[in-house]
Amino acid sequence: MNAADPIIKIRHINKYFGSFKALDDVSLDVNLGEKVVVLGPSGSGKSTLLRTINRLETISSGSIIVDGHDLYDPDEDINRIRMELGMVFQNFNLFKHKTVLENLTLAPIKLKKMEKGRAEAMAYELLDKVGIRDRANHYPIQLSGGQQQRVAIARALAMEPKIMLFDEPTSALDPEMIGEVLEVMITLAREGMTMVVVTHEMGFAREVADQVVFMDGGAIVEEASPDSFFDHPVHARTRLFLDQIL
Amino acid sequence: MSDQKQKIEIGDGAAIPDPEDKGLISAWWIALIGTVSLLIILPLLKPDPYARILSFVPDGILVTFKVTIASISLALVIGLLTGLGRLSKNRFINLVASLYVEIVRGVPLLVQLFYIYFALGRIVRVPDIVAAVIAMAFCYGAYMGEVFRAGIKSIDHGQTEASLSLGFNRRQTMAYVVLPQAWRTILPPVGNEFIALLKDTSLVSILAVADILRRGREYASESFNYFETYTMIALIYLLITLVLSRLIANMEHRLSHYERR
Repeated sequence: MNAADPIIKIRHINKYFGSFKALDDVSLDVNLGEKVVVLGPSGSGKSTLLRTINRLETISSGSIIVDGHDLYDPDEDINRIRMELGMVFQNFNLFKHKTVLENLTLAPIKLKKMEKGRAEAMAYELLDKVGIRDRANHYPIQLSGGQQQRVAIARALAMEPKIMLFDEPTSALDPEMIGEVLEVMITLAREGMTMVVVTHEMGFAREVADQVVFMDGGAIVEEASPDSFFDHPVHARTRLFLDQIL
Repeated sequence: MSDQKQKIEIGDGAAIPDPEDKGLISAWWIALIGTVSLLIILPLLKPDPYARILSFVPDGILVTFKVTIASISLALVIGLLTGLGRLSKNRFINLVASLYVEIVRGVPLLVQLFYIYFALGRIVRVPDIVAAVIAMAFCYGAYMGEVFRAGIKSIDHGQTEASLSLGFNRRQTMAYVVLPQAWRTILPPVGNEFIALLKDTSLVSILAVADILRRGREYASESFNYFETYTMIALIYLLITLVLSRLIANMEHRLSHYERR
């Protein structure tokens, strides 16, 4: 792979749910270290697009290449590719039967054969980073939504991924908890992580994004820098969306 | 987020007592105290035949336990494989598992016992107790399969997605994430099946297996004390199932530790 090549290359992908076209000829490049924020009304296909990047959602046609690996090449091991792609879900999806610490150490111990002591030391470092070390031995159900989501981010980071995917990470949170999660994401962005974020948080998009992608009806309608996207949207649908949301 | 505790009610086992119910006046306590009192008072008041029955029958308790433990262990393995098979996307595996469940559910246990013991016994000779265990496990494996299937399906798909996104494959996801959580949902119905199976082992007394019931029948046919013998046998079974149901309830309570805030 050439160093200048995008780390995610999405080319002409289409996706059908039955006869419904969820993704319509979508192409997108994400470069190493770049932060891409995907916006759009609900049902526009933005979450579906994000989920195709680690193949939680399969595509009907087109190609997706992540870090030089074709997701649909039968010789590639999808599980190895997924280790490079951390994912954060709307509903956190922490392992309910594991403590916070165990949520962080499970994958490194089992998949990377990391020694337990080392995995725990790393887990504590990550918990420090997301500001939740004192809850290491709690079960997820004992935490607030914001805390759970911060743990979920730490769990994904524990695999030391090259790319982080965020699927509406603040949509299931009470308003007063959104800030603490965004703060962690902003820190991560400043450290140079490559991020693809599906969100409704316009403030976050404006502050963090290198590239804003606007989707509607399964297609990418507009791609721009945040300044030109928010201040001079080109397409009528983008303007309508921004009028409704801002 | 509301985490409603899911319960699957399948089977005809004894009622599992609610561990939160600490009151002395519950059906469970009344039954236990009544059973124990009768088991003590009857032999004291009328040693012949009650005390004699009590000294004759317990040989069979060990056999009943052996058959129960061996059958349930085998049935759990068969049940897990059947449950996974019924959820498999592989059409052939799915069909085989479903066919097995359909057949077992449609044939009475007693007929299955006779079939495996007498019909298959003509082709391969196995010890009586082994034939009994195979027949019991074959039957209960199918019911257990349905319990496993329901338990696995009750786990939120988000758990699977989170596991896959970290790089776990499907088998690891099942082993590390789904099954440990499903086990909690599965335990009450498995406990029910366990108790139902223990009671159903009395059917093997028809074969030449000397369980509690068979020992009782032997005693009764020699002494003609049918009423007394079967009274004691019923009490012994009741005592065992009452104690087991309480043990299972406690285990269930302990397994749900991560649900308590």
